[in-house]
Amino acid sequence: MHKAKQESTHLTMFILGGVVLYFLSGMVDELRVYQGATIAVYVIAISSIILLTGYSGQVSLGHGALMAVGAYAAAVLRIEFNLPIILCFVVAVLAAAIGGALLGAAAARLSGPYLAGTTLALAIGLPSLANQFEVLGGEQGLLFDVGFPPLALGEEFTQYKWFFWIAALAALISMWVVRNLLNSAYGRAWKAGRGNEVAAQLTGINTARSKVLAFTISAGIAGLAGALLAMTIGTVSPSAFPLSLSFAVLTGAVLAGITTLGGVILGAVVLVIIPELADVIAHRLGAAESVTINLPGLIVSGLLILTVLFVPNGPVEQHRARKAKHSALLGGTHKKMQ
Amino acid sequence: MKALNRRKLITASAVLAIVGLASTAIPAQAAEVGVSSTQIKLGMTLPMTGTASLGYNKIPGAAKAYFDYLNANGGINGRKVTLIVKDDRYVPTEAVSKTNELILKDKVMALLAPLGTANVKAVASSVNPARRGVPVLFVNTGFSGFADVKKYPTTYAVLPSYIMEAKIMGEYIKENFAGKKIGLLYQDDDFGTDALAGFKAAGTKFAVTVPYASGSQNAAAAAGWITKFKAAEADVVILFGVSSATSAMLGVAAQLKYAPQWMLGSVGGDATTIKLTGVPAGVLYNAIGFSPVPATTDMKDEYVKFFSDIYAKAVPGSPFDLNVLLGMNTAFMTAQALKAAGINPTRKSLLEAIDSKGATFANSALVPAGYSKTSHVGLTGYWVGKYSPTGDLAPIGGTYVTYTTDSGSGPVVKSTYKRPAMPAKGLPN
Repeated sequence: MHKAKQESTHLTMFILGGVVLYFLSGMVDELRVYQGATIAVYVIAISSIILLTGYSGQVSLGHGALMAVGAYAAAVLRIEFNLPIILCFVVAVLAAAIGGALLGAAAARLSGPYLAGTTLALAIGLPSLANQFEVLGGEQGLLFDVGFPPLALGEEFTQYKWFFWIAALAALISMWVVRNLLNSAYGRAWKAGRGNEVAAQLTGINTARSKVLAFTISAGIAGLAGALLAMTIGTVSPSAFPLSLSFAVLTGAVLAGITTLGGVILGAVVLVIIPELADVIAHRLGAAESVTINLPGLIVSGLLILTVLFVPNGPVEQHRARKAKHSALLGGTHKKMQ
Repeated sequence: MKALNRRKLITASAVLAIVGLASTAIPAQAAEVGVSSTQIKLGMTLPMTGTASLGYNKIPGAAKAYFDYLNANGGINGRKVTLIVKDDRYVPTEAVSKTNELILKDKVMALLAPLGTANVKAVASSVNPARRGVPVLFVNTGFSGFADVKKYPTTYAVLPSYIMEAKIMGEYIKENFAGKKIGLLYQDDDFGTDALAGFKAAGTKFAVTVPYASGSQNAAAAAGWITKFKAAEADVVILFGVSSATSAMLGVAAQLKYAPQWMLGSVGGDATTIKLTGVPAGVLYNAIGFSPVPATTDMKDEYVKFFSDIYAKAVPGSPFDLNVLLGMNTAFMTAQALKAAGINPTRKSLLEAIDSKGATFANSALVPAGYSKTSHVGLTGYWVGKYSPTGDLAPIGGTYVTYTTDSGSGPVVKSTYKRPAMPAKGLPN
């Protein structure tokens, strides 16, 4: 009964979030709407890492490659068969999930640096495979056009607002799915396996299967993020999925707090806002070009180091833990006084 | 309690997002975006950091050096030209977001010299400068498609296409190496596909062709390529790849004392970049090379002398190479386009000026540009030269022999183009 109530609260909150975003998109200028769409894409990508690394305990340095799989699947279907855009996104999820299942089957036998190395190789190698097949458009890539917004939305409705709506809706749905998955028996099994694999096996959890499942689902979500990323830039090409994308998503996850979904928006906002913030700071200070160019990297690296040193589980988790401790302490004092 | 905390978290995150999204105010609109009574704002995105930035990161400094000179001499009808440069790291996602910043936040009048085919395509599709009426001047890529007025109505190419280059190479081979065995090293993607199409149009027959995947070029791979060219007994070897492929090949060839007649494509043929990787200058000696603009060491050329003087003062100690020359040449053409766009230039009048007068804009190139209402093709050919003992490309026998052609099935002809004299003081007239 309590669980059902909690579920409905979550659903209400996500719907409320959607309504807020809907009104927000009408209040800000076009650049902010575009950045909002990018934030939504990062939210999805980061939540896929949190599921995989934070909960299932598997490291992936190659999520950029899985995003590329989703993006290419969606673009090829759109170009070759002119499928409705929603179907393209569904297939993007499925294609990346299949890729993830294959990778996960291999990954289940690997851990630590070996798994990191394998996924790293994937991030470097996979996107450039597109150069080998004509249907994938080579280095120049393929166009990925989701089409104009429906006329019913009015002539003033910009393309970027349309991207934002699609990406924000996808982000809300995927966060809701991930949230519920993590709170389900699967989520508990992943956590148990991450904590102590032998103990988890003793309780009857098939940890190998559980890990493959985590990889598959995480890859599917990454595929969706990839297809949405391709939507925001209108094209798919190998250079859109560089190694730095995999690292950026992982950085966002660490900044967000890798073991909690709560900070995922924070991680995504940091990734999108920092470069612009750095630009503003550099110009205020009248800094040299070399400083302007390297400042975003410096700020993100600094934040990453500070996060790992002071809030290793992310600021949100830290805040939650402190509050829990505080209220436990208060509860204790209260009891003593009685 | 737990639910309450979560709600607070979501509220906090939402507030953060709102603050982030709404933190910048929108400046007031002038008569034309990016044009005020005192300045004209232009924007550029290109790789300033990362592996792809080598050499190209000198382009903004070169363009700014010319604009500073122009501004010091009265600007364009009293307006100073300001260039805002953003680093896209050669990643399309970055190119799109930085271009959005340039157009929507910095409010530039036009985009200048963006680099890389995938990036320019992504920007054309997502940012859609054509729909916004934003001119995209003189893109730094040899992809022939950007000359298509129907597909990219506000975009202008400047470099000759890869197809043109291959066709001209094919013609040169027909004239000078008939009956010789020809080998070709090319990149196994669209860059190479365009090259193959050009050679096919020129009727060039190869004894051996060696493709390489982008990113795979290194010394070990180069040793493998040499084995293949040796086995086919190639007399002439064409290197139609990027600088790193040319450098790897020439470096290993020097060690193995393998010395066929080299022919270098312009993309990977910049001597300064090749020599920076440690390839001895002597290996380049007598290799054949191609360029649309004069030799960078040709101080008798009025443009080279003028540009190198300005650059030496603006960026002391930085070598004057092909990237610098092309960057300054682009800025030079831009200045003329802005001047031709009228006393109060608008985006529309700028586009019209290039369409009607672009083919006659003075610039350093030794081949004509093909701008018109129906085509945005840039420079249309190359001169053929040989590398000197110091490894610098120079015209054979001291005279520039230029060829022109198109990206289709048109013939390759020796050009009779006579470059107009440089305007007085290098300022647009």
